[in-house]
Amino acid sequence: MTAGSDPSSSPGSSSPDSSPASRSAASTGLLTPPEPEPAASAGPAIRPPVTRNGVQLTLTALFGVVAVVLSVWRLDLEPAELTDAFGDLGRLLKRMWPPVFDDPGRIAELALETLLIALIGTVFAAVLSAPLALLAARNTAPNRAVQAVARGIITFCRAVPDLVFAVLFVRAMGIGVLPGIMALAVHSVGMLGKLFADAIEESSPDPREAVRSTGAGPLRELVSGVLPQVVPSWIATFIYRIDINLRTSVVLGYVGAGGIGFALKDSLSGLVYDKALGLVTAILVIIIAMELLSVVLRRVLLSPPRGDRTGRTAPRDPVKVSAPWTNERITRAVSSTLLAATFVYGFVLLKVDLRELLTSIGDIFQVGTRLIPPNFTLAGWKLFGAVVETVAIGVVATAVGFVLSIPFGLLSARTVSPNRVVYAVARTLIVVIRAIPELILAVVFVVAFGLGPLAGACALAIASIGFLGKLVADAAEEIDLGPVEAVRAVGGGWWAQLFSAVLPQLVPALIGNTLYMLDVNIRHSTILGIVGAGGVGFLLFESIRTVNYEFAGGIILIVFVIVFAVERLSGWIRSKVI
Amino acid sequence: MSTPDSSSTLSKPSTASDPGGEPAAPPTGPAGGAISAAEAVISTARLTKRFGTTAALDEVDLRVRGGELVVLLGLSGSGKSTLLRCLNGLQPISGGEVSVLGQRVDTASRGELRALRTQVGFVFQQFNLVGRLSCLENVLTGALGRVRGPRYGVLSYSRALRREALAHLDRVGLADRAFQRADTLSGGQQQRVAIARTLMQRPKVLLADEPVASLDPENAGVVMDLMFQICVEEGLTVLCTLHQIDLALGWAKRIVGLREGVKVLDREASGLTRAEVMEIYQRVEPGRPEGAGEGLPT
Ligand SMILES: Nc1ncnc2c1ncn2[C@@H]1O[C@H](COP(=O)(O)OP(=O)(O)OP(=O)(O)O)[C@@H](O)[C@H]1O
Ligand SMILES: [Mg+2]
Repeated sequence: MTAGSDPSSSPGSSSPDSSPASRSAASTGLLTPPEPEPAASAGPAIRPPVTRNGVQLTLTALFGVVAVVLSVWRLDLEPAELTDAFGDLGRLLKRMWPPVFDDPGRIAELALETLLIALIGTVFAAVLSAPLALLAARNTAPNRAVQAVARGIITFCRAVPDLVFAVLFVRAMGIGVLPGIMALAVHSVGMLGKLFADAIEESSPDPREAVRSTGAGPLRELVSGVLPQVVPSWIATFIYRIDINLRTSVVLGYVGAGGIGFALKDSLSGLVYDKALGLVTAILVIIIAMELLSVVLRRVLLSPPRGDRTGRTAPRDPVKVSAPWTNERITRAVSSTLLAATFVYGFVLLKVDLRELLTSIGDIFQVGTRLIPPNFTLAGWKLFGAVVETVAIGVVATAVGFVLSIPFGLLSARTVSPNRVVYAVARTLIVVIRAIPELILAVVFVVAFGLGPLAGACALAIASIGFLGKLVADAAEEIDLGPVEAVRAVGGGWWAQLFSAVLPQLVPALIGNTLYMLDVNIRHSTILGIVGAGGVGFLLFESIRTVNYEFAGGIILIVFVIVFAVERLSGWIRSKVI
Repeated sequence: MSTPDSSSTLSKPSTASDPGGEPAAPPTGPAGGAISAAEAVISTARLTKRFGTTAALDEVDLRVRGGELVVLLGLSGSGKSTLLRCLNGLQPISGGEVSVLGQRVDTASRGELRALRTQVGFVFQQFNLVGRLSCLENVLTGALGRVRGPRYGVLSYSRALRREALAHLDRVGLADRAFQRADTLSGGQQQRVAIARTLMQRPKVLLADEPVASLDPENAGVVMDLMFQICVEEGLTVLCTLHQIDLALGWAKRIVGLREGVKVLDREASGLTRAEVMEIYQRVEPGRPEGAGEGLPT
């Protein structure tokens, strides 16, 4: 694929073989049976053709490398500094150990509150996203203008980080859980709306046509022809989003939006490190528990029927025409009842006032209008420097994640890992890394390394290794084993199998996900500033704290433009790679 | 074997862009015996449908009496599906007129079209069921035209409707599968569920687009017999496209042939021979797309 490298034209080549004559001789060797002598030593006889696509990709790859080098240079990352930093981290961990749980009741209460914030926020997001997705999907939107507006709203919600919403909403509504819930809800619309709409676009038009030909109107057509097709995918996305939101809701407390984060901030700023580690441990426990729960939920709710054709499929009661109680139906009913009950319980426990909820919508709009017109000049060139730093953190973290996730992921893939012990260790490491929210990592690193972008870049890099490593591992476990056997059959060893059969199959997915990771990392690096870990976040939160909303609006607009550009760029690259 | 009217309409190109003068009385009389406009449940006049430059339907005149069972034959791409879809307004037409059950389809408002569709059942080649819903729920969607408001889940339909749906499933022999997921059924069973869904609509007219094209011959026979049996019992007006000539000759009262969007045959089925029907399938000129100057090969 690398059309750019051309050994014969390298400047140092003094051998006379690279003359046009020998080159044409070599190329005729393609048609006649190849003569071993010129083909072996002379110029490259067999080279992939130089295609437009290849050139564009090579240039993009070069651009990527240059961007990484520039970013490293911008962040002043030096090996010596890095080893120092890890020494600092070791010392900090020593001071944290052993973790202290001085008030288990209170910790449990905060953990529950955190969990409920994530759940309620995600439910709100789903409720908002469903109609928005119908308006944003190509095949259900009433017209192109509505579709464009709906897509725009979704992209905006995604581009503005959840913590930025949280800070704004705390300003508007005061300290409490409600701004946290609303922040998660609004930001999640960005992902839920997009994935919901994608699912609608992938649904089959046939059942809709059947419903339409019964004379039903557009609403009945959507509810009976489209909705049943997309519900499984929507549920999967919803459960996945609860997982993600839980990771955010543990840090919402940092900006006064409820949950366990406030206690963490308190104990860290009070230098009570062992208590902080206790809280971090509690956080990891809820996150891992939720992840396990979501695996179970997904299996129960989304597994296809077990092909039980002889099972009870006749009505339980032919007069009432009610469904028989199969296992599937029971689990479905129980889990949806539990979800509903937890949701209601959350409302009561968190004392969410419905009236307050309604007025909060007005508050949110008011904050929104105060961001306009955006102002870019308040901090002068500091803003430009901060934006560059934000992007640089995202780029470096993604590059590190990309490079390290390959060995990590391959070692934790059952099909590739050299032995079971390595496999188990690598998998466990990935699970643990993935459980730690990047902002918690950033908090710990700031305490260890001091304020600045190093802490942020390290936190995002580690999170990227976890995310991409799992993708590599999963993809490697699902690859087609045919090519691996083919390489083994010609006598290839572990390395040969890896490079000739495994990696080529992983590359498209890895590139696609790395680009997605870049998008995520740039968004995350805009909020690192809240814990002092670099980037434009510090200016952003300062401007909101000091009520310079228009400047905040300017920063948000810049972040939006960058995220949008990265999304477009990665879409373009993906279309080239596949 | 070209009928006189089809060759005469071919000779005057693109006059159908504007219906103009007298919409009620088509100038060329329909073939296959005189069916008056009052008798016809389905009637099209100079119906034309273009996709870009290709004319999928070219000035088709067709009339179907109440209770009549008409089979539409033709090669792939001859416009059969397009014709059926124009009849219930799933496809807007480019010229001519269409009326079904006394309702003009081409000029109907959205509300009128919906009201018409509630009386016109449609059976699709690919069944068009929602695979992950139960058979009963799929059948219940047939009632959507006559209930108010959106429905989601079996329990959102009234008990009376559920009982009716179960009765229709019973009629196609699948009552014991009521709560089985539709995508776990065989193709023949799925098409029977789709027929039950159409019955749930209580239609007066049934349009069936190759209802058995994706089934094996044995299942095809079973499903066709079941469908036609019900249609005869209910006295439905049926227009059905098929690829199986034997089934067509066995059940149809009348056979209509389409070739490249032009009606080339319209005759009572009794007395029609296989050979005569096969002529529908002869291509005009395999190499050339139009074959305009040359006559039809014999
Ligand atoms: N939505 C569409 N867009 C463009 N062209 C279409 C469309 N639907 C049908 N056509 C064209 O109209 C012509 C008639 O198609 P139609 O589907 O009606 O044929 P058919 O007789 O039903 O064929 P088959 O037996 O394969 O179902 C074909 O040339 C087809 O390519
Ligand atoms: Mg067809």
